Amino acid sequence: MILHYQPEKCTGCHLCELACSGYKEGVFNPALARLQVSSGYKGDNLVNEARLCEKCFKCADACSNRAIVYDRGPLSLVLDDCVQCGACIEVCPTAVLRPDGRGFPLLCDYCQGEPYCVKWCPHEALSLKEVE
Amino acid sequence: MAGYQGRVLRVDLTSHKVFAEELNREWARDYLGGKGLGIKYIYEEVGPGINALSPGNKIIFMTGPFTGTVVPCSGKLSIVTKSPATGTILDCSIGGSAAVGIKRAGYDAIIIEGKAPDLVYILVDDDRVEIRDARDYRGLGTHETEGRLKSEHGDDCSVLSIGPAGENLVPFACITSDFYRQAGRGGVGAVMGSKNLKALVVRGTGEVRAADIRRLMDVALEAFKNDLLTDTNLWAYTAGTPMIVELSHSTGILPTNNFQQGTFDHFERIKSEAVNGVRVAKKACTACGLGCGNFVRSGEEVLEGPEYETLSVAGSNCGIGDLDAIIRFNRLCDDLGLDTISAGGVTAFAMELTEKGIHDFGLRFGDVEKYLQVPRLIASREGIGAELAGGVKSLSDTYGGREFAMQVKGLEFPGYDPRGSWGMGLAYATAPRGACHMSAWPVAEEAYGERDPFTIEGKAQLVRDLQHYNAAKFSLILCDFWALSFEVMARMLSPLLGREVTAAELELAGERIFNLARLYNIREGFNGKDDVLPARIFTQPLTTGTTAGKTLPEEEFRRMLAEYYTLRGWDENGRPKPEKLAQLGLA
Repeated sequence: MILHYQPEKCTGCHLCELACSGYKEGVFNPALARLQVSSGYKGDNLVNEARLCEKCFKCADACSNRAIVYDRGPLSLVLDDCVQCGACIEVCPTAVLRPDGRGFPLLCDYCQGEPYCVKWCPHEALSLKEVE
Repeated sequence: MAGYQGRVLRVDLTSHKVFAEELNREWARDYLGGKGLGIKYIYEEVGPGINALSPGNKIIFMTGPFTGTVVPCSGKLSIVTKSPATGTILDCSIGGSAAVGIKRAGYDAIIIEGKAPDLVYILVDDDRVEIRDARDYRGLGTHETEGRLKSEHGDDCSVLSIGPAGENLVPFACITSDFYRQAGRGGVGAVMGSKNLKALVVRGTGEVRAADIRRLMDVALEAFKNDLLTDTNLWAYTAGTPMIVELSHSTGILPTNNFQQGTFDHFERIKSEAVNGVRVAKKACTACGLGCGNFVRSGEEVLEGPEYETLSVAGSNCGIGDLDAIIRFNRLCDDLGLDTISAGGVTAFAMELTEKGIHDFGLRFGDVEKYLQVPRLIASREGIGAELAGGVKSLSDTYGGREFAMQVKGLEFPGYDPRGSWGMGLAYATAPRGACHMSAWPVAEEAYGERDPFTIEGKAQLVRDLQHYNAAKFSLILCDFWALSFEVMARMLSPLLGREVTAAELELAGERIFNLARLYNIREGFNGKDDVLPARIFTQPLTTGTTAGKTLPEEEFRRMLAEYYTLRGWDENGRPKPEKLAQLGLA
């Protein structure tokens, strides 16, 4: 299952980012969320966009220290092995992966299969869908 | 101090000084945040008799404890100042993203004082605060102002700006943010204009903390699922405020032709289904689980609105049954920086003065062409706009027609006729900022609900309770459109602050806030004689629909008001008695 975003259903409320940072980092700060949504009035229309982890695992493959681990399961970071080189962030194809304040990548672990961002999405713009 | 950042940013435009100071924690405990805490700061810092448009007035942009958290519907910002329209205390709220930006920049509030020598804007980029030259922005509409400021500072900042109406000190000039959100009423935009402040640009990238974030998220998620996303509130998402048009028409309280009627022959053209017919998207404020904003298509453009107050006061009340014309009027007001309620109200009043032959403003009910010229004339104070810019009260002082000048304390009526909802009459008469639907909204229970709208029975209690409820809710800050209980508010506030807050404590805070606003107005010379309604409401019966033949008889209104004063612990002149002040900690 991967995260799926339907921009036409999104109202740009950012509750997903607030919830993600609250659960994962213990503070409310969209800059520390594992997903990013932007919703703005551009030119003459409203444009909604999102960046999500699509579980391509390129970040893990790019880590020369094997600090990012997964075994057909959620991504996780072995803090002691991460040297904050940023290789994982550079390789992320959706650019969703960002560093936290200390340089560690903010990996999305899909909240053990029940992502909080999905729970907090009021109008089902975010959902889980089967990988094709 | 979980729930608060503990810091207030103060910008003195006269001395060009910027500094951060500690938030007054005692005040924060007693007045919560938002509306209440803003009123407290203004009460303490803007003394009696200060001209609202002079450098001595201050304007406060105040967040609340819920701002920046995952608590839904917490994205609003309170703006508090002394009103140039009424001379009373004025608190407005505005949605969008600015409140969260201010809190994440590390401040609970931004207080602006003094007056810049020439047009400026203030940039708050986390800890970096600059007062910058805005002379190139003079005369620009809010859309272009915001667009240019975002080009310069990034799309991730929030902009609060004024249009030409604010620069020209129109007493009902508003503040716009996120292009289509407004702090509309009472002239907050004129206060910014009087300080030569074109805009406030904010970017906050920091965090907001809770004392017990796990517990907060658990109770907030439960409230989100079971209390917010229910039929009681989801109308805001599925339809938004335009759904009120049909409700008001069918209950005979839809202002039509300057409150001459409570039904509108063309209501079908401006009701919710018509708005939905041109709707292309929904938009929410930050942290809102509802999303009431309707983006609609008009010609080649996609723009937001109009809301119910605009559809009614600036629509049916001007005899306009052309939805696209109301959308254009709305857009003009937003861009020029005018409150659509007061702009609609003064236009309707001028139409009636014209039709009655009292003075010819060249405006007639239903004349779209002339109607669409009004916003620009008012904002620039040209032609008839020079006089219309004064508002309904000022116009009636000059030309007469006071009995149908639909205003209280100088603020124009919103979109609910009190002849068909008697408690609403009491709410208009006693709201601190004049005729206001945000202090209490008893129509939900009267005209739209189960209570008899044509009795004063129980209405004093209803209005008093709603005033306390809104005062507390708008201080935390939560949006009007989440009809949650004090208990749910307390359940979410306790883990945020790290102390057990009770529903009773919040209700008492609401009463304290409402009374402090009253004390401010009393200090400005207001008293019970100002708690009145225009004579039309008392003496001229409505003629159509379910309210045909109805007035709110003056003696009934007087009895309701007297009962209200007694319930409030106020004397017969509407002044809080010493024992009430002592009970509220206001002695």
